[in-house]
Amino acid sequence: MNSTAIRRRRGLAVATIGFAAIALVGCADSGAGGGGGDEAAAATCAPEDIQLIGQVRNETNPYEKSWLDGGDAFAESVGLTQTRLTYDGESPKQQEQLRQAISTGNPECMVLNVLPNGDSDTTPIVKEADAAGAYLVTQWNKPADLNPWDGYDTWISHITFDGVDSGRQIAEAMFEQMGGSGGIIALQGILDTAAAKDRFTGLQEALAENPDIELLDEQTADFDRTTGFEVTKTLITKHGDAIRGVWAANDDMALGALQALEAAGMSDVAVVGIDAVPEAVQAVADGTMTATVSVDGPWQGGVGLAMGYCALTGELDVAGLSNEQRAFFAEQTLINAENAEENLTPKADLEDFECGNLFDRVTGPVS
Amino acid sequence: MAPARLGLAPPETGRAPGSPRPSRRPDRATILADFGPLGALVLLCLLFGFLSPQFATWGNVRNVLDSASVLAVIAVGLTFVLLLGAIDLSIEGVMATAALSVALLVANSRNDLDFGFMGVLAAVAIGAGFGLASGLLSTGLKIPSFMTTLGMSAIGIGIATVLFGGVQPALRSPELAEWASGQWFGLTRLTYVAVAVVLIGILVQRYTRLGRYARAIGGAEELALLSGIPVRRYKTLAFTFAGATYGLAGVMVTTQLGSGIVQAGVGQNFAAITAAVVGGTLLSGGRGGVLHSIVGVLIVTVLVNGLVLIGVSPYVQGAVQGVIVVAAVVITAWPLRKRLRVVK
Repeated sequence: MNSTAIRRRRGLAVATIGFAAIALVGCADSGAGGGGGDEAAAATCAPEDIQLIGQVRNETNPYEKSWLDGGDAFAESVGLTQTRLTYDGESPKQQEQLRQAISTGNPECMVLNVLPNGDSDTTPIVKEADAAGAYLVTQWNKPADLNPWDGYDTWISHITFDGVDSGRQIAEAMFEQMGGSGGIIALQGILDTAAAKDRFTGLQEALAENPDIELLDEQTADFDRTTGFEVTKTLITKHGDAIRGVWAANDDMALGALQALEAAGMSDVAVVGIDAVPEAVQAVADGTMTATVSVDGPWQGGVGLAMGYCALTGELDVAGLSNEQRAFFAEQTLINAENAEENLTPKADLEDFECGNLFDRVTGPVS
Repeated sequence: MAPARLGLAPPETGRAPGSPRPSRRPDRATILADFGPLGALVLLCLLFGFLSPQFATWGNVRNVLDSASVLAVIAVGLTFVLLLGAIDLSIEGVMATAALSVALLVANSRNDLDFGFMGVLAAVAIGAGFGLASGLLSTGLKIPSFMTTLGMSAIGIGIATVLFGGVQPALRSPELAEWASGQWFGLTRLTYVAVAVVLIGILVQRYTRLGRYARAIGGAEELALLSGIPVRRYKTLAFTFAGATYGLAGVMVTTQLGSGIVQAGVGQNFAAITAAVVGGTLLSGGRGGVLHSIVGVLIVTVLVNGLVLIGVSPYVQGAVQGVIVVAAVVITAWPLRKRLRVVK
């Protein structure tokens, strides 16, 4: 027993030396690349050894599923496969999955494209990936004071979306549909989330500029479809035909509201949401919903992996990226009657994932 | 002491060493426990009626009854499990599978199947199957119902996720849509479905062995076993009945929302247990019943509805709901506090 243990340890030592040598070579290479001036960092991994991992909460919602599908599309385009991880919205499970992936694979050739469960989950994920040397892209959630440029060489970027902007865009689309005047109700998301707060701020900004629109009521429906349905029914009893528009902080609640309006026989109320889930896009195409906003799940799923892939193949110099590229708001598209048809089946556009186009959708730094 | 005749035994059988002898006349505590929640419901209605002009309108009554219908159907099934002294945490999973199954079996946007109301029956049967499995695992392998039903919930959500496969099936069946929006005599059709289930629940509770034995088993399981009651069989049966009602609830949510979603039952498990307890069905078993739970369902629904109507800020609604629920339970449980020496 003792001798096996020793042998194992010796094996480990050999492996460590091996890794160190590889790492040294990598350093030397990148040093040479840096010295060469405009040349980016040289390849540290053979393309076929690169391991691509996409992690989201679950595949029970169309958005997160489309994210992983986008990752698959990118992986396929470079002849690799993506490992699809889902953690059911449980923070400990997310950490455990990533630890396991890092410890069983080769972190030097690994790309992690992660949706952290909440702001506070991002810190341990970043530390774990940084210690192992795996390339990491995080999306949506991170603490405000944690940034990739604070000494995290392999945390390439953090991608998120401006909730104030999307809340405002759908509000304006709804006001236009209503002809600029009338009463509306607002269905907020889970009140203590940044997404709910920002989106509602966007609505308030739009309301301030449109004095003829009256906010009759604001309620929370927890981003949930059934709750959206129930709350809207109650608000219909309370305000009746005064309701000319329903602003919902996501599509699930908007679809619930739509169903409640239908049951009440109110068919000409403008309903707007955010996320562009397939059913909502279909409703916009059918004319029952006015607008929604797409953050493009397939793009998110692909671009995170593409950033890591390009870094590993030497086509992207992470150290040379600007702060605005390392934590940014990405472009989001308003989907209305005009472009709903083409957005019915969201698909990744492989051109977006070419190493030169990765940062084309940056709209501004995360403030 | 001769064993009490189980069917007619007063609920406190074997639990009141302090009382000199069982009396036919219900005492004050029992009356308060039975009618306290009803009083709380009436008080809430009066209060909201006074504060909001829309509360007491026919439109809102219809709205409250329609909103309560899904929770009522769940609560009827759950009541039998709670009467046994067991717990059921499988509601979310069973509803998820039932919702996806029914959405895929009737005319829908995903496949060409169209079994109509046979699809609805199938979903209810699937729910019953889940309940049967929970019951068999609990009684056969002697695993606490807490664990088996929690596992069943996870299985249900897993199956529903597979069925969902990335695209929500939207209902394309005009007959089912009619059930969601159509009305009979001023009330939605789903309200009548809920009333029918409640009536069935009351009949089962009063006039069948399942109902009578459930209460006896919950009151004192060992006593029931010694009296020769096939405890395992009736426990399994209670879980099966409960599963069927969750399946039906999943179908109802699906018709309301117009598509089958995995999240159909999210939050319902906690809401149903809260409603049952607020209504006077105790988690320790043996006490309460279908009507108690339904009063609890109405209290919870009226509370949510009334707070929105009187315009309480959404930021404090959750807290206000919690305070009122705790207050209602304290008031009803106050006279019982001596008798309930053990609180788990």
